[in-house]
Amino acid sequence: MKRKPKNKIKKKSNFNKLSLFAPQGFGFKRKCPLSGKHAPNIDYKNIKLLKRYTSENGKILPSRITSVSLKKQRELNKAIKKARILALL
Amino acid sequence: MTNYEHTIIARQDFTKSQIDALITKYSNIINKNNGEILKIEEWGILQLAYKISKNTKGNYLHFKITGTGVTIEELEKNERIDKNLLRFLTVRVKNHNLEKNYFAQEESSEKNYEKKTKKQN
Repeated sequence: MKRKPKNKIKKKSNFNKLSLFAPQGFGFKRKCPLSGKHAPNIDYKNIKLLKRYTSENGKILPSRITSVSLKKQRELNKAIKKARILALL
Repeated sequence: MTNYEHTIIARQDFTKSQIDALITKYSNIINKNNGEILKIEEWGILQLAYKISKNTKGNYLHFKITGTGVTIEELEKNERIDKNLLRFLTVRVKNHNLEKNYFAQEESSEKNYEKKTKKQN
């Protein structure tokens, strides 16, 4: 019983050290930041969110770097392309 | 009847009265063709990410509409002719979110929203 909480704490600390675009390969996968209960809505009007998933030149970042799930990455792509038409990104 | 979101970018040197005229013009077209406007958002003058026909800024207007395909056809037909518009975009949505405005002037709601996302990360 004592060991379980210790493990949990260790995992959390590792999780916090990772910045958004840290290289992976430490033996565990980051969860998708856009799926889950309290995840933000993907919308072409939500520029602040979309900017996080584009590079400085405006390119879309691959999901292998941002660890977004496949389904959400598809939604992101469409939203970003709509925002580009409106010259928001 | 389906839900649509419709955004227009007008030229940067438009005055307020001209924008109001635009709104009345296009809302008339929507209402004539079995459409209904639920909400109109004025996002104001925003910086364009790239130049569109020598404009660096644009006046953004956002409509939330329910209607049929005919209303959208008529709308876009008229907008293609209009020289005062730079761009337009219609997006079909399942449900309208009438409360949230991402381009509101106060931005107090956005800050709260950011805090929530930060906590998750």
